[in-house]
Amino acid sequence: MFEDRDEALDRVVRHLRRPVAIDPTFDRRVMAAIETPRRRTIAPWLAIAAVVATVFIGRAWLTGAGTASAFRFELVAPQAASVSLVGDFNDWDPHRTPMTARGGRTAGTWTAVLPLAPGRYRYAFLVDGAEWRADPRAPAAQDDDFGTPSSVLTVERS
Amino acid sequence: MIRWWLLLLCVPSILAAQDPRLARLDPETRQIVAALVDSAQRAGLPVEPLVQRALEGVAKGAPGTRITAAVRRLAQDLGSARLALGESASAPELEAGAAALRAGATTDVLRRLHGVRRPPLTMALAVMADLVTGGVPADSAAAAVLALAPTARDADLIEFRRAVERDIALGASPATAATVRVNAGARTASPGRP
Repeated sequence: MFEDRDEALDRVVRHLRRPVAIDPTFDRRVMAAIETPRRRTIAPWLAIAAVVATVFIGRAWLTGAGTASAFRFELVAPQAASVSLVGDFNDWDPHRTPMTARGGRTAGTWTAVLPLAPGRYRYAFLVDGAEWRADPRAPAAQDDDFGTPSSVLTVERS
Repeated sequence: MIRWWLLLLCVPSILAAQDPRLARLDPETRQIVAALVDSAQRAGLPVEPLVQRALEGVAKGAPGTRITAAVRRLAQDLGSARLALGESASAPELEAGAAALRAGATTDVLRRLHGVRRPPLTMALAVMADLVTGGVPADSAAAAVLALAPTARDADLIEFRRAVERDIALGASPATAATVRVNAGARTASPGRP
């Protein structure tokens, strides 16, 4: 019994004293792994960007900014061959918003429908590319700086 | 890092100075308008109304001197409106405030309106300017809007303006129409057209 235990003990001791074969590159690999700089992650920046975007979108939603409502503009001009709606909403470009004659040109009512965000807009109608007319259904612009009439439209928050 | 923040801060100024829409102006006018826009930008004022005013002048064939005068005057009015309405005033509020000042309202009226009505003040200021344009004396228009401002909704103010315009068209004197309508209280709203 005692002899068996001694043998077992010897076997354990031999096993423990046995030289361990270690990969000669092991140390180098460990040191290389330790020395490798941490990769920069964009996750924190993405998180910050998400927070900023949420704040801005939330603010716009709460204040109603950017909520566009459709507005119909009309001008009765039976003699006109063409009418354009020109104003702050299209950079005063006469070519951007041509009006259409409802029921044909002879009917004389020219219309255009535009989505407009809340704000105050100056505009006018350009008849036949030469004659500026104010909107008879809207308030006139007070500060008529350029010698031709303009109208103003204030779009409230919906 | 600081360099990037500085660059980001400068971007709006650079973009405003190089606004491609200003290419429609003649070179001399463009230079003056770009300087006015840049100055307004640095003062924290909205620049889009200034650009639009310049483009309106171009579209209407106005000479450069009139365009620069109009842009300069608008920039001054926007600055006065911000002094009266405070730093937190939005761009539409400042633009409507500038229109009210141009119509004859005083900065004191704008300050009082700021004190009695919760923002946004855009519609109240716009109605004040529109009433004056319609013939109501500036002090009567200011008194009417200030009287309605604490409780009236934007739609109420629009209806008030329309009611006054109707009364004037029917022959009432503008000042009387405004006073009578304030006393009557216009409460019906029908927005959706100019």
